[in-house]
Amino acid sequence: MRRSLDSRTLRAALLIAAPLAALVARAQTGDVRIDISSGGGKRIAILCESMQTGGDRGARETSVIADTVLASDLANSGVFDVTRSWAGAPSGAEQAVVGGKWTVNGNQLVIDGEVHDLPARRLIFSKQYRGTLRERRRLVHQFSDDIVLQFTGESGVAQTRIAFCAPEGRNKELYVMDWDGEGIQSLTHDRSIALSPSWSPEGSLILFTSYRGGAGPQIFVIPSAGGKPYLISGRAGINTSASYSPDGREIACTLSLAGNPEIYLLDARGGSPRRLTNNPAIDTSPAWSPTGREIAFTSDRGGGFQVYLMDREGGNVRRLTYEVGNTDSPAWSPKGDRIAFVARTADGFDVYVSRADGSAARRVVSGGSNENPKWSPDGRHLVFASNRGGSFGLWVTDLDDRPPRKLDTGGRPALSPAWSPRLSASAMSLSN
Amino acid sequence: MTKRMPRRVLATCVLAMSLLATGCAKKAVQAPPAPPPAPAQAEKPPAPPAPEKTETPPAPKVIGSGDFEPAFFDFDSYALREDARTALDHDAKVLRGNADAKITVEGHCDERGTAEYNQALGERRAQAAKDYLVNAGIDGSRIQTVSYGKERPFDPGHDEAAWAKNRRAHFVTR
Repeated sequence: MRRSLDSRTLRAALLIAAPLAALVARAQTGDVRIDISSGGGKRIAILCESMQTGGDRGARETSVIADTVLASDLANSGVFDVTRSWAGAPSGAEQAVVGGKWTVNGNQLVIDGEVHDLPARRLIFSKQYRGTLRERRRLVHQFSDDIVLQFTGESGVAQTRIAFCAPEGRNKELYVMDWDGEGIQSLTHDRSIALSPSWSPEGSLILFTSYRGGAGPQIFVIPSAGGKPYLISGRAGINTSASYSPDGREIACTLSLAGNPEIYLLDARGGSPRRLTNNPAIDTSPAWSPTGREIAFTSDRGGGFQVYLMDREGGNVRRLTYEVGNTDSPAWSPKGDRIAFVARTADGFDVYVSRADGSAARRVVSGGSNENPKWSPDGRHLVFASNRGGSFGLWVTDLDDRPPRKLDTGGRPALSPAWSPRLSASAMSLSN
Repeated sequence: MTKRMPRRVLATCVLAMSLLATGCAKKAVQAPPAPPPAPAQAEKPPAPPAPEKTETPPAPKVIGSGDFEPAFFDFDSYALREDARTALDHDAKVLRGNADAKITVEGHCDERGTAEYNQALGERRAQAAKDYLVNAGIDGSRIQTVSYGKERPFDPGHDEAAWAKNRRAHFVTR
């Protein structure tokens, strides 16, 4: 990676500034003058230019698609306001321009990615990406993630996937796709009911609930790239709502083997159950804090259902929030500072985000029913299921004042999303 | 009819004999190779024997899922209402009268909760129905429970009439 001195200084400045949420930092290095913001603030105006092409004559064909993938990655990052040079005139507010060269030789691809500041057009970032032509989407995603890193101090999430469940008649099957809806792949085809997927911390496995065993809801695990499901817990009663601890050593889940739905910890293979809750009420939907020291969960011990927090041994139980009515589906943000949850409305649910202590609860999504919010690994987005478009589909909010955008799930209805961690190169889908 | 019968039999015999004679004559001559056998389709395939129409023998009445009454619930509740107790009293009677019958109690919910919460709620509804039956003297080993949460609604509608039907403990014989 080649990088100018200015760029390195800028990056250092941004690394310091980025964690100060809502604070608009102004990094200045000579002529470089870029506003950054985090968590719902202003976006950085950026210009995407078509990449130059080199090598084979057919390079233009793939580079045009790459241009649109890069522009849409950057726009969906939540960091940038993107002007596409091939679709409109720059507004003049753009602070940087993204482009480079796209060279194809046979099945080999080289991208020389470049970012220049504006208006001076000085190089502030450049990096070369090499791979096969079939890896082109992933290489473009990588370039986009590096640009987000350059401007915010943290990599983007274009190299992630989203698992979800698709209703098919009376059944639900498990699917996975890239974050932009490409590379959609079905993981189960057993004409049963698949629910509540959850990724392993390194992204190779997905836990889910299924009725495929014929004995009620049981917990299974399946390779995220496809393969055979393995039974994790098929104990008497319900086995559901499973998620790996952040270190991957344990599974939090809901079991009713003692006659009542309670939260348990299992080892990573489903053995040695340890009961965490002990209450005649319903306890379910455990969600780990990113440190693995605490667990949020839903209980109706106080009457209607509410989100509670406890430490990982089951002690120190306290209710998350008193500010809103019935709450459910807690999801702890990757940095641990916030908790997303749903609150009941007349129509279904709205999505809220509060601080991890329950204070400052803020409604971030409303209209229709909005369920199962899950964080992107950078904490900039929530994916959720919503029937705002008629039938249930997947939507993403960037937690700012912009309306949520719908994810393309190949035209099928979708529920129960789960956002993967950042994935290694081999875990992303290939282009056709 | 009895008069005509011998004549017909006689005619048949004559025909058969003449055919036999022709066959013998042909054998004497150097006959060309026999033509290939007629294609099978020319022959009428033997019809399968008509199923014998017998009346089903009488058998002791076996109870089915339809003999049980579901217990319905209020929104977000697994408390047994008065009408649910009445239904379960009926179901207990059916089980007492059929000592061999084994059942699965399915717990169902309306669509308004989350999938995860509804799985737990459906489990509690199924369990509440089972507990009632056990208290009414039914052997608990005859009763399995399974929660379907909101995954298998009886009425696909999106109004209170549909939701009320979907909040139930439902009985299936096994």
